Amino acid sequence: MILIGENIHIISRAVSEAIKERNPEYIQKLALAEARAGADYLDLNLGPARKDPEEVCSWLVNTVQDVVDLPISLDTMNPLAMEAGLRLCKRRPLLNSASGKTESKQNMMPLAVKYNTEIIISVLTDQGCPPDVDSRVESIMDTVAYANGIGIANEDIWIDPIILPVSADQKQVKEALEFIKILPDLLPGVKSVIGLSNVSNGTPANLRGILNRTYMLMMEKNGLYAAIADVLDAELMELNSGGMPGIREMIYMIMDGSPVDLTGLSEKEMDYVKTARVLMGEMLYSHAWLES
Amino acid sequence: MDYKVPLETYNNRVREIVLGKGNRELKIGGQNILPLHYFEGHAPNKPVVALQMDDNHANGWAEWVVEPYKDVVADPVKWARRCVDLGADLVCLHLDGTDPKGLNRSAEEAGSLIKQVCSAVDRPLIVYGCGDEKKDVEVLTRVAEECRGERILLGPAVKENYEAIARAVAENDHLIIAQTPLDINLEKELNVKLLKQLSPDRIVIDPLSSALGYGMEYSFTIMERTRQVAIVYGDTAMQMPIIADLGAECWKTNQARANKTQGIMWECITAISLLLAGADIIVLRHPDNCTFIKEVIERKL
Repeated sequence: MILIGENIHIISRAVSEAIKERNPEYIQKLALAEARAGADYLDLNLGPARKDPEEVCSWLVNTVQDVVDLPISLDTMNPLAMEAGLRLCKRRPLLNSASGKTESKQNMMPLAVKYNTEIIISVLTDQGCPPDVDSRVESIMDTVAYANGIGIANEDIWIDPIILPVSADQKQVKEALEFIKILPDLLPGVKSVIGLSNVSNGTPANLRGILNRTYMLMMEKNGLYAAIADVLDAELMELNSGGMPGIREMIYMIMDGSPVDLTGLSEKEMDYVKTARVLMGEMLYSHAWLES
Repeated sequence: MDYKVPLETYNNRVREIVLGKGNRELKIGGQNILPLHYFEGHAPNKPVVALQMDDNHANGWAEWVVEPYKDVVADPVKWARRCVDLGADLVCLHLDGTDPKGLNRSAEEAGSLIKQVCSAVDRPLIVYGCGDEKKDVEVLTRVAEECRGERILLGPAVKENYEAIARAVAENDHLIIAQTPLDINLEKELNVKLLKQLSPDRIVIDPLSSALGYGMEYSFTIMERTRQVAIVYGDTAMQMPIIADLGAECWKTNQARANKTQGIMWECITAISLLLAGADIIVLRHPDNCTFIKEVIERKL
């Protein structure tokens, strides 16, 4: 799976301060760490970038490109910041993201055409996040048709089903898995991408990793192309490069509904089994899901 | 051709638990059906109704719900007997008088009061602390010790204080009310943690019962889902009986305080709704509703 490093994110206080002070050191350290860990893209998340959007985004893109030559996934809701950043990208960037919202169609999508980028398009619409597989399908078919109409080819589109936290809406976790599975039949040629860490948002920090890693493997089985993820999670990177095949196999079995022999499993393996069952909706989620 | 009624049956059941001891013993739970689906399986025990009282002179109660008790509100022992005379299956005593922001009665006082009440009535007791996390530990521990072996249902045990209360409950042979704020995931988490200290037949779930018009539908859906998860999906961390402590919430509303008929109706409709959602213990203030809800439970209506 293609992994887009999520770590340069405005929600991180250290990142936010470094950006505010235009201090390149911390940002470059993170960028190098992500590159070394094996990220395929670096996501630069600026959020709404209300203050000096063009200047701040240009600074960030240049700061990162000074030390790494990975392609950039540029992540901001502000079209001015987006345009300023895209203009500077040395390698073909990923515009992150557009959606079926009217505002996004008008202001973001044309930038993908103008700067010949790839583009993430989510299932969001003016009505919010579609609640089930069928409505996600309906929304994305409309939005992709619109994107095609302004000249964006399916091959340049990465579809994001919007991952909701398992602690907030457990059912949606499985809905998104299903969506990824059927996507190639719906829209041949498109790629798929998720914000992986969303699945563990709201879960205590020390327990987030195993949710992210398990969900990554489950999504991989269903054909997911890429994830925006915590590439500094060593176990996640190991799993993504084919490590720990026993764990992968058990998770696949749970997804297929095959019986899993639990005798002799290590605590770590049991934790993955429990996590996969929770993400499949077989067990009600609680923050204590590993303890029962 | 014979018509066969299509039935959904399940292999999972709610834990049967025993409240009170000796001649006070009362069982709840044990059913392998969704709420009130008696035709689909087996329910050895029906839901029960408790009348609520306090050690706080019914302070803040609407006048029409004090009426049936007004000569006894100053004497909790007599008040408890009145609840029994009015038909309560259990007596639910809220120790509001221990609130540090109010009368601030001591743990010792509360302990000896509950002991007296316990020997004065032949029904099991439910005892709620005042809701102050720290004071409740002190008070409920004392109550547990004073009434050792009486299998009183004690609470609320919340995220912040469950360990100490569970310890007192386990050491003194009582039961615990596991209370969480209208959130099924937090509800399960607290159960999982309590199960490390207590056997499942000592736990009753209190998901909080909001009044009609004040979020009752949240309580409804959480109770309903708790039951589905327990019975349909067999989640052992969720197979405990549910208590709907709704009296105080209902009588706090402007609608219930506006006039007597409306007040009684307000509590009644909330109670019937939460009964349908899956509550095993209904806590009420007005005796008319006690009679009525018991009739509903007996399917006499």
